[in-house]
Amino acid sequence: MDSSAWGLLVQGAWTTLWISGISIAIGVVMGLLIALLRVAKIPVLHQLLGVYISLARATPLVTLVLFIFLTAPTMGVNLNRNVAGIIALTLNTTAFNAEIWRSAFNNFSKEQREAALAIGMTPWVYFRRIMLPQITITSLPGLVNEMSFLIKGSPAIAVIGVVDLTRVTNRISAVTYDPLPPILAAAALYMLIISLLVWLQRVAERKASRLAV
Amino acid sequence: MPETAAVSIRKLSKSFDGTEVLRDVSLEVQTGEVVSILGSSGSGKSTLLRCINWLERPDHGDIRIDGDRIGVSDSGKPMSRRELAGMRARLGMVFQGFNLWPHLSVLRNVTEAPIHVQGVSKAEAEERAMALLEKVGMVDKRNDYPYTLSGGQKQRVAIARALAMQPKVMLFDEPTSALDPELVGEVLGVIKDLSKEGYTMVLVTHEMEFARAVSDQVVFLDKGIIIEKSHPSEFFVNPKTERVRRFLELEVPVA
Repeated sequence: MDSSAWGLLVQGAWTTLWISGISIAIGVVMGLLIALLRVAKIPVLHQLLGVYISLARATPLVTLVLFIFLTAPTMGVNLNRNVAGIIALTLNTTAFNAEIWRSAFNNFSKEQREAALAIGMTPWVYFRRIMLPQITITSLPGLVNEMSFLIKGSPAIAVIGVVDLTRVTNRISAVTYDPLPPILAAAALYMLIISLLVWLQRVAERKASRLAV
Repeated sequence: MPETAAVSIRKLSKSFDGTEVLRDVSLEVQTGEVVSILGSSGSGKSTLLRCINWLERPDHGDIRIDGDRIGVSDSGKPMSRRELAGMRARLGMVFQGFNLWPHLSVLRNVTEAPIHVQGVSKAEAEERAMALLEKVGMVDKRNDYPYTLSGGQKQRVAIARALAMQPKVMLFDEPTSALDPELVGEVLGVIKDLSKEGYTMVLVTHEMEFARAVSDQVVFLDKGIIIEKSHPSEFFVNPKTERVRRFLELEVPVA
């Protein structure tokens, strides 16, 4: 592998990183909002969100990516490949994150809520000051897990032509006729990205131990 | 004109799934008064206390704090969350299980509501908190987190947290029931000090000797009905009903 091959690899890694990063950022926040809406149990909306979550969790990423990329033009929307990829990844990860947040809501201590309401907090102040800081920390292991699944599943966006870290290895070996080195190099880069996440997770778990009452 | 009661409960009824827990309960607590609610478990005493700050919604009757009705606005409609929170801020509550917020240090537990509910400055909230932690003997632990504290220490912090809102009335829901016997004294000591300082308090407790020592009025609930309401000197010495006599025989060791 020469330096231009490495250049391509790094470009591919960057594509994987930014597309996954945007999907993760939106997915974590959207997941929180959906969990909030589901906990509020608003009729119709509650069922609709339930259907979305079941569908998104049951659909393979490749299928979802293709579906988004192919149906958008039929509805008059012209999606660029990257945007289609981000939408698909976001739809997928949001569903999983919503379930992680929701279980954190449901398991949260009723006693702390009563203490907050009794002292005069509105439900919103309680949520922001008491509940959210704690469930963020307790949900982080699950969320980070989901982030690493997403990154490892992101090669699915290659089917619509996005040149990510996996796809780029094909391009390199098409020139070098030696597929193994770029694939090994790509694997190393994936591991580097995931290990950063795992490190983050460990820091969060250390903080979370304080919350064990 | 009679003085407005700190807490006025009128014809309160409450059922859980068809089981009547409180029936037609009426009670007045004057400012500066300490009222103990006694009764065996299941008599409805905790529910009565929890209705006062609307943690439980009564089915019938009304509750007024300093003359203002809680839970129901002047127009007769249920209060908005904001209005209800405003009424609750006038009442301090201490729970059996302490219910401290584990992600906040002792000091932050006490300053949290003054800062984020009352809008008091951080400096003022901390000054207030330090004075209260001093009062309950927890200044040294101000930077510690709840999980490092004993039950008695947690409860003293919880008392300081409630006092930090400068409530009109303090509500205690079996504040020593979850404590090891040797830790009960330190919490009762704090509550006793508060009674000497003139705090208005409503107390649900199983500590008979303590209720006798601090109360101005003792209320006995049986199956959701107040069957006796009197001064402790009367209540513990000359109970009017057979039910209370039996209760006291079981609860109070013969001196």
